[in-house]
Amino acid sequence: MTDKATAGIWHWLLGAWMLLVIYGAFFYAPTAQGFVGESARIVFFHVPQAWVSVLAFCVNLWASLRYLARRDPLDDARAAAAARLGLLFCTLATVTGSLFAKVMWGEFWNWDPRQISIVILLLVYAAYFALREAIADEERRGGLAAAYATLAFVTMPFLVFVVPRIYFSLHPDTLINVRGSIDMEPRMLRVLLASLVGFTGIFVWLYTLEVKLARVLIARQRRGES
Amino acid sequence: MSVSTLATEALAVFAKEVRSELRSRVAINAIGLFGLTTLVAVAYQIGPYQIHEQDRPHLLAALLWIIVFFAALSGLQRVFVKEEDAHTAKTLRLAARPLAVWGGKLLFNVVLLAALEALLVPLYSVLMGMHVVGVAPLVVLLAAGCLAMASTATIVAAIIARASGSGTLFAILAVPLMLPLLVMLIAGTRMAMTSPRWGDLLPALQGVGALAGVTVVASVYLFPVIWHD
Amino acid sequence: MATVRITFSELGKRFGSRIVLRGLSGELRPHCVVAVTGPNGSGKSTLLNLLAGVMRPSSGTVAYLRGDRPVPRHRWHGLLGVAAPDMAVYEELTALENLRFFARLRGLAHTDGELARLLGQLGLASRDVRRPVATFSSGMKQRVKLAQAVVHEPAVLLLDEPSSNLDEEGHATIAALVARFRGRAALAIATNDPREMAWGDERIHLGN
Repeated sequence: MTDKATAGIWHWLLGAWMLLVIYGAFFYAPTAQGFVGESARIVFFHVPQAWVSVLAFCVNLWASLRYLARRDPLDDARAAAAARLGLLFCTLATVTGSLFAKVMWGEFWNWDPRQISIVILLLVYAAYFALREAIADEERRGGLAAAYATLAFVTMPFLVFVVPRIYFSLHPDTLINVRGSIDMEPRMLRVLLASLVGFTGIFVWLYTLEVKLARVLIARQRRGES
Repeated sequence: MSVSTLATEALAVFAKEVRSELRSRVAINAIGLFGLTTLVAVAYQIGPYQIHEQDRPHLLAALLWIIVFFAALSGLQRVFVKEEDAHTAKTLRLAARPLAVWGGKLLFNVVLLAALEALLVPLYSVLMGMHVVGVAPLVVLLAAGCLAMASTATIVAAIIARASGSGTLFAILAVPLMLPLLVMLIAGTRMAMTSPRWGDLLPALQGVGALAGVTVVASVYLFPVIWHD
Repeated sequence: MATVRITFSELGKRFGSRIVLRGLSGELRPHCVVAVTGPNGSGKSTLLNLLAGVMRPSSGTVAYLRGDRPVPRHRWHGLLGVAAPDMAVYEELTALENLRFFARLRGLAHTDGELARLLGQLGLASRDVRRPVATFSSGMKQRVKLAQAVVHEPAVLLLDEPSSNLDEEGHATIAALVARFRGRAALAIATNDPREMAWGDERIHLGN
């Protein structure tokens, strides 16, 4: 079986998986208590989106460090691809989080530290692309963007871990169940984990596509030179 | 030929920065005037009488750091941007070790920011009626915050100087990195207004100190990459 | 102390899709001044930048060798003296303050008298050494630039259009400088001036 055929099968499987996740989120998982109406179901989409935006940030860091070590243009393309997808998923996480906040607490924005963390991650991604846009020279662009990504990565743990300890958070514990105790109800946990796998699969698929395109463009440029 | 250390070279860069700045006064004017103007505007509009007693620690702490932060943004990028603008960057790149350049310019930014804090914080206390109970912990917090803010600003300034050098880009890159720092500084300042105990400020002090350390260490690794193509 | 030479092999540089240099190989060594010539935009300054290590090559390698041992890249700056049109000295400082700064950066403990003497050898009048560089003519600034390039007696000297902005007397000063460093430094001059080209023992012609 060719690589293309194998990839095709995985893509169809991913599509079917996500359909199951959506079905499970609305029909299989029970209603959570302590939340307004069915609003808690957004957790099956919001949490994986936030997870993927952080995963993309990590991939961006890995590719950035590789670029700084090897100066391979493909590593710079990988870093940019991860950042683009991170920006997308971070935006989705912010939007779904705001929708939940509106239903639950009556306001789209509550200045909760977790909300602030995800928005700052969004600002970091936006700043990363603003920096890339400002530099014409490819090698310099790759190096400076990689340096900024590394700097942002070492600063982020303070936002995610230290700041919430200083401030009270409105953010619900992610472990919610029908009875309102801290253990997550098994059916909800299954759907959440399935959704995490599905969204990660979507990220890997889109990332692979972007890297393939970058590889073709770099090869074409090299052929043009020789 | 005598042997020079990284420290002596960094001090040479620092001394050159001080001499240049005292002659041109561009950064001093930008930071000082921006800080004072903003402070006067805030004090005039809000003053010590407009804020309810229970809101004072929160609001006064936040306003103070907003003023310091934006004053810092207006001038701290000059250490690198002016080198590229004046075409002295290449001359410096060829003459000095990268870490000597970084060390000297970081020291300059620390001194500049410390001077700004020394000017603004007492003035702010007087004009806005900010009563600090934990003075010693606040001074330590100001010092740690100065190092953290200056180290972040210096490395970001090095990045943008090699890009377009614009002040807007500096703000865009620096704000997301400095927001966690600002949150911790505001929290610590608020504590200092209500409690004299070191223990109450400890989380903020630890956070700011750790962030300063992490930024300095990251800068040591990243600056040579940024400085040289 | 063993002399320093620079070897470069299959050196290439492109900016975006524009290829400026390709497949360049050669060597810089003492007693053999290399003149780099070519029309405007042919890559003369780019080649010097690559040899100085301020630019990374797109392909090929540059190596500094002391005797037969390679010098690590982070030590190149201590061996190098460069003067180029895209470099400047600090205009708010005096000529002497500039030179003192660059000397200190290189770990030199020269007195002001010694530094002033060097500036004098390069044609700067003694009354001018304590004036801010901002008040200088372009020729005088060029002399300060050359002074910072040679204050540490470099083992490698790269000069990009050294006589630009200089009068006849200045040209003679550069000729004396080249003569002085010919035997002790690996020297390259990027130029289109026939008189400067004549100083070269070997020539690298770019642009074809």
